[in-house]
Amino acid sequence: MIVTLLSVVLILAGLVFFLGAAVGLVRFPDFYTRMHAAGKGDTLSSLLVVLGLAVWRLHDVHGLAGLREHWSILLVILKLLAICAFIMITSPTATHALMDAGFEDGIDPVIDGENNNALHGRRAQAPPADS
Amino acid sequence: MIPAFDILILVFLVITAVIALKVRDLLSATMIFGIYSFLMCLLWAEMGAVDVAFTEAAVGAGVSAVFLIATIYNTRRRSSD
Amino acid sequence: MKKFALVAVIVTGSLLLYAVGDFPAFGDAKSPANAGVEGGFSVSRYYITETAADTAVPNIVTAVLADYRGYDTFFETTVIFIAGLAIFAILRVANPGAPDRRDRPSSDSGVEGDHNRVIIGMTCRLLIPVIQLFALYVVAHGHHSPGGGFQGGVMLGASFILIAIASDLDTALRRFSERRYLALGCVGILIYGGFGLLCQLLDRHFLDYGVLHKLMGVTPVMARSHSMLGVEIGVAFTVTSVMFAIYANLSTRGELRSGL
Repeated sequence: MIVTLLSVVLILAGLVFFLGAAVGLVRFPDFYTRMHAAGKGDTLSSLLVVLGLAVWRLHDVHGLAGLREHWSILLVILKLLAICAFIMITSPTATHALMDAGFEDGIDPVIDGENNNALHGRRAQAPPADS
Repeated sequence: MIPAFDILILVFLVITAVIALKVRDLLSATMIFGIYSFLMCLLWAEMGAVDVAFTEAAVGAGVSAVFLIATIYNTRRRSSD
Repeated sequence: MKKFALVAVIVTGSLLLYAVGDFPAFGDAKSPANAGVEGGFSVSRYYITETAADTAVPNIVTAVLADYRGYDTFFETTVIFIAGLAIFAILRVANPGAPDRRDRPSSDSGVEGDHNRVIIGMTCRLLIPVIQLFALYVVAHGHHSPGGGFQGGVMLGASFILIAIASDLDTALRRFSERRYLALGCVGILIYGGFGLLCQLLDRHFLDYGVLHKLMGVTPVMARSHSMLGVEIGVAFTVTSVMFAIYANLSTRGELRSGL
């Protein structure tokens, strides 16, 4: 019972964050805020959903004695936790790399509803000429 | 195999295929093609062909997108078609 | 011309859709592929019932791919190798450095660039060993779980591509040089073909692995299982090197320097 409740709460929370990420991706004005929504929301929601699935697997285990008996279920849970760890490492790095690429490509942020080029001075090099 | 799920994925497959053909920006087309490959992978996994799904995930969605991006980087980004 | 193409596509598509009506249903036990023609001999039933006894491999897909249809897979690997060779032959230029080529300034100038390199570099340093280990697991564990030479080879090649993307192509080429990937591509094909030829030398058909038990010192059934692993390793060699070769040549227009 408590296992069901916990996993459903985790998965539902993950879905809520997914919805938030999707809405942010559509609604936010410029590249950086969109990546912000996508990166953060996607990481957290994937983590929550996978954790919820890992908790759901505990259904087939009855007590600690059952855990020793069903070690294959424990293996599945360990794999899901490993996926969690990799999502936690890779997803923010991918977001960072995309942000960095956008920054170097000369995408300007939208501030107060209009495109301004506040980042031009801080860029390490001039944006490459469009080919 | 869940028929409703199948039909949903198939509809998305058709949509992504048409968009990938229609889009002028080849980089966007590559990304949409990656989505197409992942949907294909999902469909195969859901139908029980896990080996094929694995191959599609590795080749179709992973490496071929990288190849296409590498090619676009060295050619033009706009489609003339 | 475009209109003609559209008409051709529509006609072909509607013909295909018309033919779908004659297909057996999904998972139909009475379809010819599953039940055999008129209840006779059926290949898939043979695979399902006899694979474990024939080859001691739990994953039927691997057994069909590498043993029963080994000839198919051999030339599939050859096709991949030839595709890599074709891209190599078309794109690779011996003398790079014509000045009219697009010359990008290296992006790691400036403090911020270095900082970003550190984050991505550390993540890749953390991930690439895991990816390569998992790829080897996929190759070696193809008997028991989904996977095999193709998937594992692609992942192994992708790990080298990741090195090339995260730092630059020179770093990746220091680990997996051109001479090495060309040689490994050939070695993979030779491993696969060698298993086949070895069977022929022992008076059996090409790729009839059972006879190799004389060399391996195991039962014929286990010889088939072990030979499948050897063949998968050959496939993995070829696929790994071809994937990296294609990326290296595509991303640098065949110059093999300062790529994507």
